[in-house]
Amino acid sequence: MASTGAVAALQAALAAENAAIFGYGVAGAHLTGSSQAAAEQDWTAHNQARDALAAMISARGAVPAAAQAYYQLPFRVHDAPSAIRLAAYLEDGVTRAYLGLVAVSDQRLRRFGAMAMQDAAQRAASWRGSTQAFPGLTPLVLLTLLAP
Amino acid sequence: MLLASAAALPLLLGAAGCRSSDVFTGPDPLAGRPPLGHDVLTLQAVITAEENMIDLYQLALSGDPGTTRARTLRSLLAQHQQHLVQLKARLIVPPGASASPSPSSASPSPRASTVSITRLRAAERASAADLVRRLATAPPALAQLLASIAASDATHATALGG
Repeated sequence: MASTGAVAALQAALAAENAAIFGYGVAGAHLTGSSQAAAEQDWTAHNQARDALAAMISARGAVPAAAQAYYQLPFRVHDAPSAIRLAAYLEDGVTRAYLGLVAVSDQRLRRFGAMAMQDAAQRAASWRGSTQAFPGLTPLVLLTLLAP
Repeated sequence: MLLASAAALPLLLGAAGCRSSDVFTGPDPLAGRPPLGHDVLTLQAVITAEENMIDLYQLALSGDPGTTRARTLRSLLAQHQQHLVQLKARLIVPPGASASPSPSSASPSPRASTVSITRLRAAERASAADLVRRLATAPPALAQLLASIAASDATHATALGG
């Protein structure tokens, strides 16, 4: 029987992947050419990740949470620049979600979460055009990490 | 009363057939400092690696300070310096122990002319892989910090053309 912590972390990652799948559908509609191709590629990657996470949750005896019919977007997406901002925003959310898996006791899940973080951080950097010092960690979380 | 009790303790222990080592089960205070915890050793190793990475970037920049490439290197260097600040802030070294790990002597110090983009890229990839290897035994909060730095390093490798 898997720990509830591991299942909860997997469900959180699944929820982020579902949100990303929805969001890329919106973003892709405002992109053309190589940007649209990149969005389609990333959308496919998130679908594959969703399936993998759902299988991992089922294997632990739990039911994968279903995707929502609609997700509230963080800002209005009406052109290519806002679509690109949305893609970076989605990847940041996915990176944060996988960070939860890195804290579980199962070592294989930790590694899985860390590698998924790298994938999402790479996609975020590609959309944003710049790298970040602490993908997945907010300044507030960093302060919390520093607390004894 | 307290003094009388303390003075009587050896007699009581002797009468009961006990030696002091049987009673005090914690670390022997006369055996010297206890070994450093695994998380401290992990942090020290990661800090050394981060310092080596910063040295590598600084050497690369010293040989190529004014180009477009240098702007990228300076940006990545600044992020490594942020990594180092966070890592060092988490390092709590017991009194009497060395505050900073000794520098690695695994590879000789490179000269500026030998620090190529290819070498930086390889160093970033190796760092990301090393950090992920260390996750298995790190406490959860430290594991999250290491995973985030590993993700940052992976993006650096890509930014350097890999």
